[in-house]
Amino acid sequence: MVEEKIAKELRAIAGGDGYLDSREDLLNYSYDSSVDEAMPDAVVLPNSTEQISKIMKIADREKIPVIARGAGTNLSGGSIAVKGGIVIALTRMNAIKEFSKENRYAIVEAGLVNLDFQNYAMKQGLFFPPDPSSWAVATIGGNIAENAGGPRGVKYGVTRDWILGLKAVLADGTVIQTGGVTFKNVTGVDLTSLFCGSEGLLGIVTEATLKLLPLPPFKQSLQVFYPKIDDASKTVARIIGSGIVPVALELMDRVVINVVEDAKKIGLPKDVAAMLLVMVDGIESECRNQVRLIEQICKEEGASRVAIAENETQEEALWLGRRSALGCMSQLRPNCLLEDVTVPVSNLPVMIKGIYEIATKYNLTIGVMAHAGDGNTHPMIVTDKRDKEEWERAEKAIGDIFKLAVDLGGTLSGEHGVGISKKPFMNLIYGEAEFRVLKDLKKVLDPNGILNPGKIM
Amino acid sequence: MTKQQKELLSERTNEHVYHCAKCGLCLDACPVYKELLVESASPRGKVQLAKHIIEGDLEISKKMEDILFSQCLLCGSCVIACPSGVKQNELFSGLRWRTAQRHGMPLAKKLFFQVLSRRWLMSTSSWFGKWVRKIFSGPAIESRIEVGNLPVSAIPPLNDKPFNAAYPEIVMPEDEIRARILYFHGCATNYVFADVGKAVVSVLTNMGVQVEIPRGQSCCGLPIFLSGDRKTAIRCITEALGLFARDDVDAVIVDCATCGSALRHEYAHILRELKDLGEDVSEDMIEKAQLLQSKVRDVSEYVAAHMDWLAAMPSRDGARKIRVAYHDPCHLMKGQGVTMQPRTILKSIPSVEYVEMEKAGTCCGGGGEFQIEFGDTSALITNRKIGYIHDANAQILATGCPGCNITIRAHLDKNKNMQVLHTIQVLQKSIDGTLDNFIDSGITAD
Ligand SMILES: Cc1cc2nc3c(=O)[nH]c(=O)nc-3n(C[C@H](O)[C@H](O)[C@H](O)COP(=O)(O)OP(=O)(O)OC[C@H]3O[C@@H](n4cnc5c(N)ncnc54)[C@H](O)[C@@H]3O)c2cc1C
Ligand code: SF4
Ligand code: SF4
Repeated sequence: MVEEKIAKELRAIAGGDGYLDSREDLLNYSYDSSVDEAMPDAVVLPNSTEQISKIMKIADREKIPVIARGAGTNLSGGSIAVKGGIVIALTRMNAIKEFSKENRYAIVEAGLVNLDFQNYAMKQGLFFPPDPSSWAVATIGGNIAENAGGPRGVKYGVTRDWILGLKAVLADGTVIQTGGVTFKNVTGVDLTSLFCGSEGLLGIVTEATLKLLPLPPFKQSLQVFYPKIDDASKTVARIIGSGIVPVALELMDRVVINVVEDAKKIGLPKDVAAMLLVMVDGIESECRNQVRLIEQICKEEGASRVAIAENETQEEALWLGRRSALGCMSQLRPNCLLEDVTVPVSNLPVMIKGIYEIATKYNLTIGVMAHAGDGNTHPMIVTDKRDKEEWERAEKAIGDIFKLAVDLGGTLSGEHGVGISKKPFMNLIYGEAEFRVLKDLKKVLDPNGILNPGKIM
Repeated sequence: MTKQQKELLSERTNEHVYHCAKCGLCLDACPVYKELLVESASPRGKVQLAKHIIEGDLEISKKMEDILFSQCLLCGSCVIACPSGVKQNELFSGLRWRTAQRHGMPLAKKLFFQVLSRRWLMSTSSWFGKWVRKIFSGPAIESRIEVGNLPVSAIPPLNDKPFNAAYPEIVMPEDEIRARILYFHGCATNYVFADVGKAVVSVLTNMGVQVEIPRGQSCCGLPIFLSGDRKTAIRCITEALGLFARDDVDAVIVDCATCGSALRHEYAHILRELKDLGEDVSEDMIEKAQLLQSKVRDVSEYVAAHMDWLAAMPSRDGARKIRVAYHDPCHLMKGQGVTMQPRTILKSIPSVEYVEMEKAGTCCGGGGEFQIEFGDTSALITNRKIGYIHDANAQILATGCPGCNITIRAHLDKNKNMQVLHTIQVLQKSIDGTLDNFIDSGITAD
């Protein structure tokens, strides 16, 4: 509970319908897309940077935790209030403040939904490359704070690569502006990057300057099926090694294919071991050449079927299953634990084989999906939290998967961040020195430790 | 779980809350969330609250009542958006029912139909008043009416006499009989859109279909049970099953998206749920509901499946074509999966140039009584939709739901001269060769 005196102050800032503290509302901000839940004491839905600055001043004075929240689609417990406090939900700050077609940038508020922006930019012939599968709901602020990447990351990288500047509110209410609108800018230390992937620990991003690209004139996708999953992994390594830079290179294994097909009935063969989705973009003639080359590699590596999209409708159809795969997996059982360990591409086959062994060891159903082109692997464990014994096995399996990834030269998380879910395993990656730097940084920017406490460290 | 909570909804309905992954993919689909941008308006948020209510650690409070009624159109968009197969509509309508039991139904006083009824009562005969009383079994019909987002002046006038009074119970085609169907015309056609009914009968008989219009049919009950009054709804369901659950016909044809989705999905679900909860529902009734369910077809679905039964329409080489766009009613697209069929029909008409409007599948914001009760939210959704409709720059907007028809026509820019018709009216006017006249004279479709 927030004291009435403070509640009154907050209400005065955010307006009647911008301050929520009924039990119903608190329950509705107690979750994100991870399995954990925690009740905040209040929720504020601000309309401007100034309002957030005022709220932060009060929170800092009273030492109340503040948790920034976009759409609450992160998978690591990043936006839940594990220590109580105020959730600042940025969903109503969704304006496109400036759009410069000739200079190819846009300034947007942090609560804008990624896809809503894409639709706007597309009409002007431009696009914002980061495309997490959650883009129809996730916000630009959430993308930045998690440094999200999507299927087309193989070619275009992650969110950090497309942010030119930020406006952010620090713990004490100070508003800072990093970067600018120009593509080249080395005036000072790169503070913009500091906030990318900072999971709401260093400040609240309220505006972002996005770097945009012209829409490629052409794109084409292939859907490839394999009787053996090893052959699919080998294909991935060969395509990457051949010098072709696909936009996206995704893998789905038998478990996932079957679940998606059962849910969506889109005509995927249920007797294959793996499916690859490959997309290239650029000049049409060049794309068609690349597609031919890729098709050849796939066949040489043992693909049993290759389908090539010939129009926009077919493109959509090929990608539909991939976009809904996570949700479909959770249809199997009440809970679906999704991890995002990432290994060097050449180690992908070993990683996948290892995951299958872990599934057998703990007697669990684990489906595997991967942004294979960058080694980012999504093992998905389907389970039921209500079954305590199975839940424990699932947690042990996740520990094993993390260790395996690190042994293979990889990392715990390629895109979902640490939050609370991966916090217990941070010492696999961070040593004492690294933790100290993070702590010192925190001390400078957030001396009272009110920003998203209990996460990462 | 306490016994009491267990009995709130059936086990099967309860299980949905445990399948929600909180992935949020339904947020994008929800017209109410997209305007209010607060989690309680989202399907995900309401599933969360349902979970806590079912588990017994949250009261069905007044606040909850407000969320269930004022922040949801029961449009079903979330159901098709959810990859985890959560049937939010079953949860939400079940909770509305329990909420209405707990808090009474003050909202029912302001129901959509009562608003309509006021205008009609002033203008016409007493049969309508009797009908409304039968349906709503409430005395408050003449009470003061708030019209929310719906201007009373834009509500279409009542048919001079009920549609079915103008037809014999069985209408025979002129030549051979290819099929025999029962026609469920619903309230809207019977009392407001008689022209839609005429078009249905005309097109079907033209196709060689014998049309039987059972006497004594009334409301499908959907608006009633979505408001939480399952008891009155059961009366409607029992009546409808008695008249329409028949093995000896090829199909039961419905021209109203809402009635269609009720007959097709809601009847069997509600009856089974009530039976599971120990209410007085027989297995025989459930079987009848399943029989009916298997026979129901939306009129556009039926016509599109038998296009070869239609007589050829005159082609019009070089002549001016009429631009027609189509709006997907929630209860047709999301409720029944009917999307291609109306388009197939419109595209097959030689005098029509079909234009696909942007966001054809998003909700119009009407939601029956929602637009009356929660005008502000409704207006936000409707205005967005109207923008897309005008962008299509068509002369006719075809659709398959009387509710959408009323909401959309009430908000169209009068200067743009756009008409709203049922898909089947566009077809009938094309067959009769009256579509040009209709456009030229600029008359409305009542
Ligand atoms: C179905 C599904 C698919 C997904 N696919 C992908 C994918 O392909 N790639 C990927 O990278 N991720 C993916 N994710 C994870 C998630 O969607 C992304 O991390 C996304 O960027 C989160 O955005 P959000 O608006 O939901 O942020 P939230 O979940 O609300 O917040 C995420 C974190 O950012 C912080 N935060 C939010 N807004 C701000 C702000 N304005 N300032 C400072 N901190 C802030 C929060 O405190 C929290 O720590 C997926 C999730 C789901 C459910
Ligand atoms: S789409 Fe389904 S699983 Fe995802 S949040 Fe909505 S109801 Fe839950
Ligand atoms: S039924 Fe429609 S309005 Fe209600 S929660 Fe689902 S999408 Fe939103």
